[in-house]
Amino acid sequence: MENICLINGSLRGKKASSLVFLNYINRMLADAEFNKDIINVWARVRESYPEDILRAISRADAIIMVFPLFTYGIPGALMCLLEDFYLYAKANGYNKAAGIYIVVNCGFYRPEIMAELIRVMKNFCRRLSLNWRFAICMGAGPVAAVTVKIPLLNMKYRRALSAIASDIENGGAGQKDDCFIKPLLPEPVILWWKAQYEKKMKAGAASK
Amino acid sequence: MNTILILDKDAKTGLSEDLKERILRILKEKAHLVEVVELGRNDVTPCFGCFLCLTKHVGICVTRDRIADIRNNPNRYDMTVFLTPVIFGHFGSTIKCAIDRGCGNQNLQVVVGYGDDIDDEEKSTFIDLTRKHRGKADIVHPGLDKQVDVYLTTSSEDSEAICEAFRKYV
Repeated sequence: MENICLINGSLRGKKASSLVFLNYINRMLADAEFNKDIINVWARVRESYPEDILRAISRADAIIMVFPLFTYGIPGALMCLLEDFYLYAKANGYNKAAGIYIVVNCGFYRPEIMAELIRVMKNFCRRLSLNWRFAICMGAGPVAAVTVKIPLLNMKYRRALSAIASDIENGGAGQKDDCFIKPLLPEPVILWWKAQYEKKMKAGAASK
Repeated sequence: MNTILILDKDAKTGLSEDLKERILRILKEKAHLVEVVELGRNDVTPCFGCFLCLTKHVGICVTRDRIADIRNNPNRYDMTVFLTPVIFGHFGSTIKCAIDRGCGNQNLQVVVGYGDDIDDEEKSTFIDLTRKHRGKADIVHPGLDKQVDVYLTTSSEDSEAICEAFRKYV
């Protein structure tokens, strides 16, 4: 039975869009066929993440990281876990054949802004000789998190997320392209919404 | 000019300490006020993505820690310098938490990465993370951070060149 490690890189708890995508993927992976570990990043890590968490990642045959884009990169909380895992893996060994999948969402409309983040993840895989598989990048994360639950409207999302499950089932071989998904709502609507927040933010900064 | 220099105290190396001293010397030569903040993993709380700084408490981070002191007083400094280890072509987690929380001055931020085991792709990723997306290149929050410059050192010679470039800010 294959070991799958699903990592939730968001600290927003039940409100996290990342959690919606993680649960969606989790449901596609049959409990009878896979041992699944779900790991949530922590807000406070003293010395290092505990060994049982790092061991679960190191023995996984597939690692699926689901997280939001923060300042065009990896959220600090997830970066902390990756740093600890890197040191643990170097010292204690790990499954080098593990396939790495990332599912990232950002507040912005265009998911192409995640290109550098994908490069960081590929660097992480190269450092550990892990098997980089592919990234699914979604624009307007909160909108995507709602859309993914609506039958028929969620076709693009369902197709992309089920590609992870089928890739794992097929042994994760061959090269796969990264997938960039724009939201169903038109860009001007999303940008108008974003502008409302930014207006408030700029007014707040100016008043200080 | 008030400058804040933020560095990762858990990831200090000979290279980073040397560069820090050189930068401090340049700033002090010009009689700048400098505050050095050494952050460790235990001092920082990551951004929760709660959006309260955009909605309920505009401009204020509600997480109480050392980062909030810096972040909630943006006009105290004219320039923020981040000194970060480069890991997988990315910021170290401690400095990334500070950046995610909005510690950088909105007028001028200087990000300096360091490391003696960084390959070419990691170097280029680290530079592109900032150069292609932050400051004037920022299409997500245009105008929020006016200028964000990035440098990378892997040797004493690189640090020397960075210091030369750094003089333009002072």
